[in-house]
Amino acid sequence: MIHWSEVKRHLHILRLFVKYSLMSQMEYRFNFITGIVAEVAFLIAKLLYVLLVFKTNLHIDGLSPDVILMFLGVHFVFTGIYMGFFFQNFLLLGQTIRGGALDMMMTKPISLQFLVSLRHIDLGMAFPNVITGIVLITKGWNASSIMWTWETVVGFIVFLLVGVILTYCLMIIPSLLSFWLLDTSAAAEISYALWDANNMPASLYHRAIQHIGTFILPFFLITNYGPLFVLGKLSALQLIWALAAPVLFFFLIRTVWKYALRQYNSSSL
Amino acid sequence: MEQIIEVKQLTKAFTYYKKDTGIIHSFKNLIHRNTLTKMAVDHVSFSIRQGEMVGFLGPNGAGKSTTLKMLSGILHPTGGSATVMGYTPWKRHKDFKQQFSIVMGQKSQLWPDLPAADSIYLNKCIYQVEQDSYQRTLDELTEMLGVRDLLHVQVRRLSLGERMKLELIASLIHRPKLLFLDEPTIGLDLLAQKAIRQFLRHYNEQTNATIILTSHYMKDIEDLCPRVILIQGGRITYDGELQQVNAEYGDKRIMKLQFHEHVEGARLLPFGNVLHHDGTTAVIELDSANIADSSRQLLELLPVSDMLIAEIGAEEGIEALFQRQS
Repeated sequence: MIHWSEVKRHLHILRLFVKYSLMSQMEYRFNFITGIVAEVAFLIAKLLYVLLVFKTNLHIDGLSPDVILMFLGVHFVFTGIYMGFFFQNFLLLGQTIRGGALDMMMTKPISLQFLVSLRHIDLGMAFPNVITGIVLITKGWNASSIMWTWETVVGFIVFLLVGVILTYCLMIIPSLLSFWLLDTSAAAEISYALWDANNMPASLYHRAIQHIGTFILPFFLITNYGPLFVLGKLSALQLIWALAAPVLFFFLIRTVWKYALRQYNSSSL
Repeated sequence: MEQIIEVKQLTKAFTYYKKDTGIIHSFKNLIHRNTLTKMAVDHVSFSIRQGEMVGFLGPNGAGKSTTLKMLSGILHPTGGSATVMGYTPWKRHKDFKQQFSIVMGQKSQLWPDLPAADSIYLNKCIYQVEQDSYQRTLDELTEMLGVRDLLHVQVRRLSLGERMKLELIASLIHRPKLLFLDEPTIGLDLLAQKAIRQFLRHYNEQTNATIILTSHYMKDIEDLCPRVILIQGGRITYDGELQQVNAEYGDKRIMKLQFHEHVEGARLLPFGNVLHHDGTTAVIELDSANIADSSRQLLELLPVSDMLIAEIGAEEGIEALFQRQS
């Protein structure tokens, strides 16, 4: 059962994390500014994809470059959300476990998973990606002559929320291995590669990969299902799976998390 | 007085691997590992009353911190049971966590790049402390610890002693009924250690909070804890008043010797139980009945430059107890 007062409290603390993270980053002026500059440079490099799509008039499974622009835009938005809200926390999880900092956090009367996975937030990484993504989605949406109706907009936002939950669940998996493994960098590298492969329509890939990316590690749901929904290309079965997958994966992650905490042996550091 | 902690047969076992030196054994270890089990805490039982200040003492790896971690819900035990303020700690109930705090000397909960005031405010929100109560407690604690001016200084610019005082404030902002302190004075200078000790004593008197303390500094224990629990090899070897630790040494005395030239340890053995020896200094435990004879012989036979005879103090008593049982 959801206790709304608890949700409200967690949101208030999340606001404090955003504020404190920003305040901490601004203490190191040079790092703060160069971090944003580097992210923008990285973004520009990724925008070359957009140029490539239009220059080559790339069509994937009947999808025009304008529609592909929406897929790229969604990928940018989620890259921003991942980099801004989750990346640093997931990266630090192993260190938090091995260094014993988790011990202190465990004694706080608040969700430990929330505390550990949303404590460090980097808006400098999030904003350039999210803003660029929204611009690309809007351009692709208009150029593809998709109607701006309540149904399409609300449906698209619902798929964005589905994407946020799945991004969290899928990208935290390598970090969760830190409870058992000393080095999880190989698993993290695989997840980054899968993430980057997800910036195009899934139909680009072999059918077997499409199935894996939809049902086993549902990365394709994150970037593909929003645009496919507004294009009216999702079947009823796909719609049901899109709504069930985040619930299922969040439940799985919670189960693994609780199991890991039962096994947790603390650190003598 | 109400029992706040009840521990029965609490046990924690860790598994580990043993590997002999050399690369051959590393390869062998890759295929098969010799799994061993270490009983970090071995069937310990004790109870603690509300308002007590209890010292957990023991050598490194004795099981003190593991016990504390189980009582604060960080670790699940392998066996046994514990009730802390009516809760099973490792179930990690929110109401349980609202009522206690743990301070670890080597771990910080303050955000290093922000002033401590921000981290303390974060704890206020986490523990849902009312604004009035928060302000009152903050004023009181900063006054008691003399750190009002440091609240707005970045944590990473503070000295270790200053940081520890602010860690304590962050841990006490919700007025916990129970406080676990795991080596809170580690690495601090003597003045800072003293200030922390005075504060803890005052806090206990004022709030009747129960305080469980582990420390390697005997002074911390002597100043704060009328009761001590000695742990060695995961087992409790003594649980009682600190002053009674050496009661069984009532007929014993400690002789501290200084030599003006190197003396072999074997030459000291006939005089009593050698507690310490490094060549030029030694500490011997001996029967009070033999003091006169032993002193005369020592002065005659050994190059003694200084000699001090004293009753066995708590520190020496505990040291002797550990030596006897190891």
